[in-house]
Amino acid sequence: MAAPLAPGSARWVCSARWVCSARWACSAAAERPWRLFGAMCLLRLPRITQPLEKEEEEVAALMEQLELEKSHYSDHEIRKLEEEEQLRRKKESLYDEDEARGQTVIMAQDLEEKWEQKFLRFKAAPRITDADKSNDRKSLNRKLDSNLMLLVKQKIGNQELWLLPQVEWQPGETLRSTAERAMATFLGDHIQAKVLGNAPYGIYKYKFPRAIRTENNVGAKVFFFKAYLQSSDLSQAELKADYLWVTKKELGDYLKSEYLKKVNRFLLDL
Amino acid sequence: MGKKVKVAGVELKDKISSLIYYFPCRAQPKKKKKVDVKKEQAQKERMKKKLKKLEKAAPELIPIEDFITPLKYSESSRMRSLPALSPQESERRVLLLKKWCLFKQKQDEAEKKAIKGLVESQQEALRELRLESEELYQAAVRRDEGLFPFQRDGPTYTPPLPGYDPPEGKCIDITKVYTQ
Repeated sequence: MAAPLAPGSARWVCSARWVCSARWACSAAAERPWRLFGAMCLLRLPRITQPLEKEEEEVAALMEQLELEKSHYSDHEIRKLEEEEQLRRKKESLYDEDEARGQTVIMAQDLEEKWEQKFLRFKAAPRITDADKSNDRKSLNRKLDSNLMLLVKQKIGNQELWLLPQVEWQPGETLRSTAERAMATFLGDHIQAKVLGNAPYGIYKYKFPRAIRTENNVGAKVFFFKAYLQSSDLSQAELKADYLWVTKKELGDYLKSEYLKKVNRFLLDL
Repeated sequence: MGKKVKVAGVELKDKISSLIYYFPCRAQPKKKKKVDVKKEQAQKERMKKKLKKLEKAAPELIPIEDFITPLKYSESSRMRSLPALSPQESERRVLLLKKWCLFKQKQDEAEKKAIKGLVESQQEALRELRLESEELYQAAVRRDEGLFPFQRDGPTYTPPLPGYDPPEGKCIDITKVYTQ
């Protein structure tokens, strides 16, 4: 990006709507009527794969069949076929004594059965966890195949609302650090989260109700940042307010419609 | 000659024997010196030429072991004997692949639309930020050095089993390593 230009030439740099020269001349703190907030959308990424769609399953089966048809016999299969031949000949009592002496103790069929038994003995962790069944929205173990977002209950004006954690911007810090501070206020300092870049992902602009609105304080702009939660262990986090971990579809239960619309724009369907 | 010569504290009888003491000679004089030197030089030049030729030749390509099928797998005894495909089966396969084509196209379009929506949302946010303050905008538009390289393990089919003890065993790597 070009360095900040002199006030006179700034006019064509900014968008055409605003008359910029006066703006550039004044200091930043003086006449901005919008209060700035930085909000953090903390995502817990999925831990298991999503279930396959019907077409995907059919094509996967077809591909496996094609692979089988185009393949050749492996060593194990040849051994199995030979031993079946031997068994068959034994039943028809056509074998010699010499063959019987060279016969192996373990047959390929026995090996396969042993492997099958061992596999059945192994119990994998279930894909649908207890938290899913009890619909415990505070736990991170719910809905392991989709993204989970952090929602906190915050007091805005005189209302208690469910929002993405946000905190007012202080002069002297970038918006990204505001968002990180928001995360730290609600989850404590020991959070390993990877913030995705310096730029905000979305914005929610709202005007204050007429009672509070003044010339210098028209409304607020909330800038959203995205971060990926790295550690799954939040036992050290000191949660100070009411919190929830919800998926994108469940956001509608908690967020107001305008806010929800803006938030949905920067979230992928998962 | 009868003169006594004292050489290195040792008394010798005559000059000739003293000379022999200092310069041990053979019975037959060496005649092959020049020829030997020439032969050695010729040998050295041949070696140098060989080395140059080897260096000029392109380096041997390292064989990719995955692409070379061992010959024992192409034997005819290994061929599978399966019944031929019925026309219904081949029909079903072709129709399934066409459905798959359409499915994947829709999926791709949806992904592209989602990405476009994300980019638009970000552009709007940056525009609003610019209207607010130029320095914050510049800070937002700066490249984030700590973001890449970004590494993450992908999702598995089942979640990790807590307290799982994997079976003991040593893994010995037998891949062949080639050097050029």
